[in-house]
Amino acid sequence: MTGFWPIFKRDLFALFVTPMAWALMVIFLLLEGLNFYWLTVHFANQVDLAVDHGPLQWFFGETVLFYLPLLMLPPALTMRSFAEERRAGTIESLLTAPVSTPGIVLAKWCASFVTYLVAWAPTVLYIVILRRAGEVDWRVVASSYLGVILIGASFLAIGVLMSAMSKSQFVAVLLSLAVTVGLFILGIGEFVFDRGLAHDICSHVSIWSQMADFSKGQIDSRYVVFHLSLIVLPLFICVRVVDSWRWG
Amino acid sequence: MIEVKHLTKSYGSVQAVHDVSFTVGDKEVVGFLGPNGAGKTTTLRIIAGFLGATRGRVTVDGIDTVRDPVRARYRIGYMPENVPLYPEMRVGEYLQFRAELKGVPRARRKQAVERAMDDVRIHDHAQVLIGNLSKGYRQRVGLADALVARPSVLVLDEPTAGLDPNQIREVRELIRTVAEQHAVLLSTHIMSEVEATCDRALVIDRGRLVAQGTLDALRTLRRSGATRFVVRGDGARAVEVLKNTGEIHDVRDVRRIADAVVLEARWAAMADPTRETEQAVHRLVAADLKLQEVSPVKTSLEDVFALLTEEEPRESDPSVEVEDSAASREEVEP
Repeated sequence: MTGFWPIFKRDLFALFVTPMAWALMVIFLLLEGLNFYWLTVHFANQVDLAVDHGPLQWFFGETVLFYLPLLMLPPALTMRSFAEERRAGTIESLLTAPVSTPGIVLAKWCASFVTYLVAWAPTVLYIVILRRAGEVDWRVVASSYLGVILIGASFLAIGVLMSAMSKSQFVAVLLSLAVTVGLFILGIGEFVFDRGLAHDICSHVSIWSQMADFSKGQIDSRYVVFHLSLIVLPLFICVRVVDSWRWG
Repeated sequence: MIEVKHLTKSYGSVQAVHDVSFTVGDKEVVGFLGPNGAGKTTTLRIIAGFLGATRGRVTVDGIDTVRDPVRARYRIGYMPENVPLYPEMRVGEYLQFRAELKGVPRARRKQAVERAMDDVRIHDHAQVLIGNLSKGYRQRVGLADALVARPSVLVLDEPTAGLDPNQIREVRELIRTVAEQHAVLLSTHIMSEVEATCDRALVIDRGRLVAQGTLDALRTLRRSGATRFVVRGDGARAVEVLKNTGEIHDVRDVRRIADAVVLEARWAAMADPTRETEQAVHRLVAADLKLQEVSPVKTSLEDVFALLTEEEPRESDPSVEVEDSAASREEVEP
């Protein structure tokens, strides 16, 4: 893991010292704010609240305003990580420093992950506001955020890999969007196929169903394992990709 | 100390570097010379650990760069071609980051950065954004980066490319200073660069090492060897005597100084210039000609370089080992 800490700090620095992270966070918070605004408008007129279709379920997964940033933010955060280093040539000074490849890959993923968490952090305020208007089950909040974190972490891992596989940020963001949006659409297949293998596969990878579960306080270990493997596998491949540059 | 043994690098069917072997000793500045595309950058990148070799081995201070890459890289300060830097960082921040990356302990980091900035004289630019630096200053930051962890070996890829004459002189001085403690390998395609900074040169062409040796040795390389005779008296007769000497390729009457004539004799390809010169001197003296001066003609490195890189490399032995003794110089009293 040699070199993890300085690279992690530098990547975080690079995200926040350029307008990159700030611009992304502004857009992200605008969308989430809009989501919350609609939520309050919607539920202000609702007299009878269903237990599993309350404001929390709305906020964590029943609107496009939740999924849009969830799918878009990770690719945008990771697109620069390797692609920009390769374009600018700085990858050469990085790889010739006494650092291990897993250290570099993990540092880049962690930097984007921390930025992702920072982007989500202000949304806790919405829950606090909700709490002032009524009851909030904090365990449900915790499981919802667990879902957001797991999905984000795995999408970021995919994003880092895609960034390593392309020389331009633009291609990187397109590739990782293709994968994350593709995965989402595959999950929608759950509602297209009634039964059979296709239905099982689609429902297993369905981000929609996963968030529906997480936002109701259910933590399905299959989903946790799915996302953990979706973090480990791309990062592992990414290490191999970076190593392969030496032998290309 | 860098040891490169039988290094080969292929990209598919193209061989960028073919069976290159050399060593760079401590406190030695070695110039890696070759036209563009000869394989200089590829070789340096393999040494620095950015590329893997197809065959062959590189060790730095005895540490294999493939078996123990991280430990080997601790010992190398590498400045890549074009000096890639992060434009959003300030010079001081960047060097701080590089020092940490290269394992300089926290307690000594600040001091190490200061020293590196002193070495390349960029102290007054510590707070400047790298994106706003001129080419010359970027180059210095690259050098400071290579120096910051005080590695035992410096590998510099075209350290003076794109600099103005003043900056070039400064960088050269800097390299000479640095070489008092480090082994330095620098690549260039400019001859005067090697003449100004290096103790020894390696000439590479189309991936093969075509010559290596000290600068003097390279200059008096036998194949371009010639000797100047300054003879007083009958010039035509002197030419005749010389032409009859064993292995002379041709004799040219260069110019006249007062009553003396300056002749240049080029030796045949396989001749031994030292012995041939001795013989020629004997004959000229025996022929009663008054010899004023005998000296080897210093060919410029440019000539040697052009000569070495324009031919097809020989099949049997791609490298020409040049001995210092070839640079002998004789003075004969008139």
